[in-house]
Amino acid sequence: MSMMTSAPQKSVKLEDIWPDLEEGIYKIITDLNKGFPRNKWMALYTHVYDYCAASQSKGSTGKTGMPKQQSTGANYVGEELYNRLNLFLKNHMKELLQVTDSKMDETLLNYYYTEWDRYTSAMKYINNIFQYMNRYWIKREIDDGKKEVYEIFILSLVIWRDYLFTPLKIRLTSSLLDIIESERNGYQINTHLIKGVINGYVSLGLNREKPKETILQVYKSSFEELFLTATENYYTNESAKFISEHSVADYMKKVETRLNEEVKRVQQYLHPSTETELISKCEKVLIEKHVEVVWNEFQSLLENDKISDLTRMYSLLSRIPRGLEPLRATLEKHVQNVGLQAVSSIANGAIEPRVYIETLLKVFKKYNDLVTGAFRSDTGFVASLDKACRRFINENAVTLAAKSSSKSPELLARFTDFLLKKSPNNPEESEMEQLLNDVMIVFKYIEDKDVFQDFYSKMLAKRLIHGTSTSEDLEGTMIGKLKSTCGYEYTSKLQRMFTDMSLSRDLLDRFNTHLEQVERSQLGIDFSVLVLATGSWPLQPPSTNFSIPKELQACEELFQKFYQVQYSGRKLNWLHHLSKGELKTKYLQSSKSGYTLQCSTYQIGVLLQFNIYDSLTTEEIQGSTQLIDSVLKGTLTSLCKSKILLSDPALDDDDISKSTKFTLNKGFKNKKTKIFINVPVLTQVKEEIDSIHKTVEEDRKLQIQAAIVRIMKMRKQLPHSGLMTEVISQLQTRFNPKVNIIKKCIDILIEKEYLQRVEGQKDMYSYVA
Amino acid sequence: MSMSTVKLESSDEKIYEVERDIACMSVTIKNMLEDIGDSDAPIPLPNVTSTILEKVLEYCKHHHEHPSPQPEDKKDEKRLDDIPPYDRDFCKVDQPTLFELILAANYLDIKALLDVTCKTVANMIRGKTPEEIRKIFNIKNDFTPDEEEQIRKENEWCEDKGN
Repeated sequence: MSMMTSAPQKSVKLEDIWPDLEEGIYKIITDLNKGFPRNKWMALYTHVYDYCAASQSKGSTGKTGMPKQQSTGANYVGEELYNRLNLFLKNHMKELLQVTDSKMDETLLNYYYTEWDRYTSAMKYINNIFQYMNRYWIKREIDDGKKEVYEIFILSLVIWRDYLFTPLKIRLTSSLLDIIESERNGYQINTHLIKGVINGYVSLGLNREKPKETILQVYKSSFEELFLTATENYYTNESAKFISEHSVADYMKKVETRLNEEVKRVQQYLHPSTETELISKCEKVLIEKHVEVVWNEFQSLLENDKISDLTRMYSLLSRIPRGLEPLRATLEKHVQNVGLQAVSSIANGAIEPRVYIETLLKVFKKYNDLVTGAFRSDTGFVASLDKACRRFINENAVTLAAKSSSKSPELLARFTDFLLKKSPNNPEESEMEQLLNDVMIVFKYIEDKDVFQDFYSKMLAKRLIHGTSTSEDLEGTMIGKLKSTCGYEYTSKLQRMFTDMSLSRDLLDRFNTHLEQVERSQLGIDFSVLVLATGSWPLQPPSTNFSIPKELQACEELFQKFYQVQYSGRKLNWLHHLSKGELKTKYLQSSKSGYTLQCSTYQIGVLLQFNIYDSLTTEEIQGSTQLIDSVLKGTLTSLCKSKILLSDPALDDDDISKSTKFTLNKGFKNKKTKIFINVPVLTQVKEEIDSIHKTVEEDRKLQIQAAIVRIMKMRKQLPHSGLMTEVISQLQTRFNPKVNIIKKCIDILIEKEYLQRVEGQKDMYSYVA
Repeated sequence: MSMSTVKLESSDEKIYEVERDIACMSVTIKNMLEDIGDSDAPIPLPNVTSTILEKVLEYCKHHHEHPSPQPEDKKDEKRLDDIPPYDRDFCKVDQPTLFELILAANYLDIKALLDVTCKTVANMIRGKTPEEIRKIFNIKNDFTPDEEEQIRKENEWCEDKGN
């Protein structure tokens, strides 16, 4: 601006303007709320401008037109005015400080805050009035690295900090802490005042490098540090006293309230950066220090189902490191015990699959709700629940009574059969999805999944053969669920059973067409047949010979011929023991249209004899049917019990002699026209169950051997322990292989020369190719 | 509630009523209005004559109505050849008026006007010898030959050697 010398320029001396400026500044700083006129503002601004814009040569510091330092270029005026203002503000601080001598606590804070508020508002004005100085003289001084020169507003804060705040800060902070403590004690306080004073602490944290930004050093060192210590002391005392006088449940409520209050306190009047440290300090004092007492209460809360207390305990303990660990073990033990007790209470006598599964589910669901609700699905608790469920589901009073850990999979399979088999007691369709999901919950915990698979496939086979499935959709759904849990292999046989069913339907259609078009003959009876692959279906061959009655023989022969033409090389075995048929009576007076009798093939074989003979002995019947004693006995008993046949002498339960005579009961009467004649099955089911349990052991040995061979073929050489781990991990999705059985299998394989021990190395096997 | 106009009073006591937004292109007036708030009183500008204030207001009105597409902070302060046509014409005034405009822009803190007027002066100096410059601005040489020599030496580094 040095070239402006040519423009008309007022010559301004500090003494010309200072009295006017001082008066104005004093008015602004003390009495701003009475308002300040525009012309006065402009006058003060103009004074500063005139003083600072006046040429160096006419100012008081310059000598000639020569710059003091060559690097500064143009010269700006301002130092003396700056010093004058500086002095004025320092004097003002002295005046303010004097007044505080008589003040304490809230009165002190009130005074301090009012003056702070007044001062900072005023200094914003004064900063604007001195804007011209900020723009030139001050900016240049700062750019030249003068540390003691600040923009006017910053200067005012520096002066406040050094000349008022610093001498007062101990008294101020202790007043703040007293008031905060009284709020913790339940008194209402003026949070607006506290917030105002504390904001002031923050504003005084001036950043030397970047004067426009604050750093928190004043707030941290003059307030926060002391505040945190006071907090720690306060809660140490309070918590020790409270917990000695109240229950743990009440203590936890108290802690929860206190933590919420402290969060709110930060929001209301502290700096947000304090929250983390404040809360962690509170957690330490309120939770960590008393954690043992809290842990000890867990068991009793579990026993009494105190859900809201448990929820609170979880949320408090999850705040501190390792706060939850001991609870996990306690929960596991507790759930296991509850599960075991629940099963014990139903474990007398024959156990109903439905009751059993519902009992297991009830325990699971109760604690699953707790884990997902109160414990927010915490992975550690989920794992505890899983472990506990796995234990009490696989080993409990019921399985102990049955002396078999495969009792649970059996009962689960039977429960599933109960759901999927058509019966008047079937649950509503809408509940089915949920019930099948429940099955899958228990299934997940079952260790012997192979046992379940065996039972399930047997029962599925029966449902399919006898046409007793509730719906094909539900069967498909269930298999889908098993597949998604255990994989394709687990359900592949089940799925092939379904394929056979639909192939059979096609085949029967073709057979009927064939009869019409090629054979041009009629069977005279309705005939249907299922062709089932031996490998996929868990079916037993018939336990007896049977000479099929001639009425049915033609059918069988025609079908056999038809089938062999299409699939030469396949062998058909007739499973008469699984077949059934209907007979229509024509010999009875009681029904003109005749009764329809639903019978097994064996029953048909017996009854058809009476088309020829009026009366037959056991021996004669056996001669023509070829049925073995036990089957014949069952068949005859069932026919007599349903009053179709009469015997002479009357049957007793145990024995039928070879000479017992049977005749048709011509006086047979029944309200229904369609009569189902019971097939003696009970003994059969019992035998089947036993046979499954027996075959499971054998199956497993084979599976273990297969797994060992697979592993060794790949690894060539493995130590004993490594082989064990791999076998177990390969098989445990189906069952838990027992160590001694694996050892046995290894020995068997060594004997069969699949494996050999490596010489000179202990416990090392190698694969023999 | 903000008033849409304010009154400005020149040093020779002429009053101009202008839109508040235009007046606020002066940071000084803007700060003052923010501090004091609303009032009917005219704002005295004791360092600006009516002739100059009219020019300043003319400049502000134009730029208020035709906002520069270029953001303020992107303008290159060092470039002298980027003065827009309106501003170039606006600065075609006699020397005393130009200097008074500079003073007013500085006093009122109107950065755009200060830049453009200073650039215009800089363009007048550019490429001239000290003697020519003294002539243009009617400056008496008050350096002794020794002083002159010393200054020349100190400023050798910035001599435009290309020309």
